[in-house]
Amino acid sequence: MPDVLMFLLRTALLFVLVLVITRLIGPRQLTLFDLVTVMVLGVTAAMMTFNPALTLPGGVLLITWAALFMAMQFLAIKFKGVRDWIQGRETILINHGQVLEDKLLEARLTPEDLLSRLRRKDVFNVADVEFAIMEPTGEMSVLLAKENQPVTAKGLGMPVGHASVPQTVILDGEIMDEPLAALGLNRGWLHTELKKAGVAEENVFIAQVDSVGQLYLDLFDDAIALPHPKTKELLFATLKKNQADCELFALSTRHEATKRMYTSAAQTISDVVRDLEPLLKR
Amino acid sequence: MTVSSQVKQTLASVKGARSTLQSFAIIEENQEAHAIFSRNIDRLDQVIADFERRVQELEFAEPQYKGF
Repeated sequence: MPDVLMFLLRTALLFVLVLVITRLIGPRQLTLFDLVTVMVLGVTAAMMTFNPALTLPGGVLLITWAALFMAMQFLAIKFKGVRDWIQGRETILINHGQVLEDKLLEARLTPEDLLSRLRRKDVFNVADVEFAIMEPTGEMSVLLAKENQPVTAKGLGMPVGHASVPQTVILDGEIMDEPLAALGLNRGWLHTELKKAGVAEENVFIAQVDSVGQLYLDLFDDAIALPHPKTKELLFATLKKNQADCELFALSTRHEATKRMYTSAAQTISDVVRDLEPLLKR
Repeated sequence: MTVSSQVKQTLASVKGARSTLQSFAIIEENQEAHAIFSRNIDRLDQVIADFERRVQELEFAEPQYKGF
């Protein structure tokens, strides 16, 4: 019996020790040496669990290794030279669309490796690549040539509204007061909006409010279909209709001053439409 | 439908759009977006003022349709 108890105790102690050590080492991207460290810690801990005779040397090894590792990390953070030597540096494999063969050799990559890594980045054509770099962790980062990069609003010269983070105001049927207050809204507003949508607050799984106060709801009961808020689209359509109306009035009147008034109103509303388009439609 | 009622309808619609914009402007916290909303509310205010003047003229010319 005591044997079993001792075993349990040792296992628990090791569990805590390894947990503490891994927490101290901290989260990081794994270089080869980090992998070795993880293995050494794991194997030592496993061996110590099964063999009581190893408790002392194993414990010393664990703690020394962890201490050395942390010292190395500290030095690496403090000095760039140490950092470059320990963690390795990134290797440029493709520069200006040219594969650098000597760098490939330096990174110990075969051309097949290079192609396969590019494919994993969704690049099938080496000619599309402007710049490819191998990170110290062995991962590949690829910058496509400008014309092969995905289209962005900026590239199209298209004005867009700012991206705003919606606030989550109901989670699992519970109203979150803090995000509501952050938007300058309160429970009264939320209850009104829910009533408008015709749902009880207990039935709402997630509710989010965007920056102009539109409420998006997801219910527990997926059979109930809720219309998405369309206020922005509706406003945009209304403004366009008003503009058309003004133009129509301008056409149908023969009174010069009135015609001018309607024309300028149509112009103003068309300015409004153009100004608001990024905010309302995109 | 008379001209004056058509004009009044459009006036009401512009006013509705303006108040929707206003409600957006109140909640919007991004300064830039807020400025755009306010700027366009002012523009719509001009249009509304023009239309209200026109409605008055129409009511004066056709008093029998006043109020509709």
